[in-house]
Amino acid sequence: MKKILLTTVLLVAAWGASAQRFLAKETYIRFFSSTPVEDIEATTNTAVAVWDKATGEVAFQVNIKSFTFEKALMQEHFNENYLHSDKYPKATFKGKLTDASAVNWEKDGTYTGQLKGNMNIHGVDKVITVPVTVVIKDKTPSISSKFKVKCVDYNIEIPTLVLAKIAEEIEVTVKAKFDLMKS
Amino acid sequence: MANRFFALLLVALAAPAFAQDDLMNLLDAAQGPVKKSPVAATFKGTRIVNLQTNELPASGVGQLIISHRFGTIVERPLYNFGGLDVAQMRLEYSYSPAHWLNLGLGRSSANKTYDAFAKVRFLRQKEGGMPVSVVYYHSTNLNTTDYTDGVPEHYFSDRLAYAHQLIVARKHSDAFSFELAPTVVHYNLVATPADPNDQYGLGLGGRYKLTDRMALTAEYFARFHRPDGYFDPLSVGLDLETGGHVFQFHISNARFMNDPSWMMQTPGSWGKGELYFGFNLSRVFTHRAPKMAKEIDVL
Repeated sequence: MKKILLTTVLLVAAWGASAQRFLAKETYIRFFSSTPVEDIEATTNTAVAVWDKATGEVAFQVNIKSFTFEKALMQEHFNENYLHSDKYPKATFKGKLTDASAVNWEKDGTYTGQLKGNMNIHGVDKVITVPVTVVIKDKTPSISSKFKVKCVDYNIEIPTLVLAKIAEEIEVTVKAKFDLMKS
Repeated sequence: MANRFFALLLVALAAPAFAQDDLMNLLDAAQGPVKKSPVAATFKGTRIVNLQTNELPASGVGQLIISHRFGTIVERPLYNFGGLDVAQMRLEYSYSPAHWLNLGLGRSSANKTYDAFAKVRFLRQKEGGMPVSVVYYHSTNLNTTDYTDGVPEHYFSDRLAYAHQLIVARKHSDAFSFELAPTVVHYNLVATPADPNDQYGLGLGGRYKLTDRMALTAEYFARFHRPDGYFDPLSVGLDLETGGHVFQFHISNARFMNDPSWMMQTPGSWGKGELYFGFNLSRVFTHRAPKMAKEIDVL
């Protein structure tokens, strides 16, 4: 009896681990702020993402300090004065496709849909819905999305002095190439 | 019994795999441990007032600093507009070829002094690691005023004086930073036989952030050789940061800005109200931009 219990537990644990999950380490995130006075761009390749095929959940995580700016001082101000990255080191997103059937995992192709979930930036949670393009190739997904983020939604304060230089809405581009996780 | 305990242990171990934050834990694991990043922005500027900080402009960045020290505030304040009619000024430009090295040139009104300086970073404070940042600072100063001492012959080397400084700084908290700067100034030529060629001092400086972009600052320079007529410089200031500029406004008994003069030869006294209003204005220029992340192709 005890052996059966033990075997069952082991099997359940093994099943959980073998559920199909995709991990993306090849990623690209870009912030772009555009005003008549100045365009500001920041990029990183260090974000990671995971897509659980069974539950349909997609999650992203990025270290705020990993963003590179064209000007070093902008990067310092971004971390020190705007995102307070010592206090809030990460930005995360976790959500699902609003319509899971929008993507056919079995067939190579490009699919469009909506990703809805919780975004956390600067310690503030907000539920957002963003358009996504999903490319399936050999039953493996890639994802790309472009959307706008309002600084005020995440309590990111822009002083009036620099209002002309920093847009109130920041364009965010996210791209990720997934690989099947081996467990 | 032992088996049951074992089974329970397995369940407990397997349970996190089904927990709500499973995906987030997985991402944490995928990202690996976060590298201990160096503590940034111990000070807003590369100087507090006259005293150097542990900060260097970033690699590939040049910095222009324009500084003014006005006349005494209290002497005929209406006639001299609080001293603004009489200004000492300093211009400096520096460039960082690497994140640990800054090289610069300056010109200060006092003694018509040209200087060349270098800052070398040895240690950076890290969260959960190195507790302090350590920077070495050196300046070579060339006094180009006409000699008035009546001595018929002078060597070129008589015009030179050097400052060496070790800056040990710590950002205690988001708002409060503090530094100690043991210093030696070497004069090739001194005014009297009683004055040593090597003069030692200790710089102390700090800042307290009032907001993200505004900070109170103070610095004091304690001299170990204390001839009559000169005082230890003490300055209090306000840092204002506006994007690419840092404005530093201050009140000080030091009016000179080249190192050999302000450190060891400050004639003004706080006790007598010999104070001067001044400012430093800095602007950075990016000569070599950092490498941006590469866009990946997902299609």
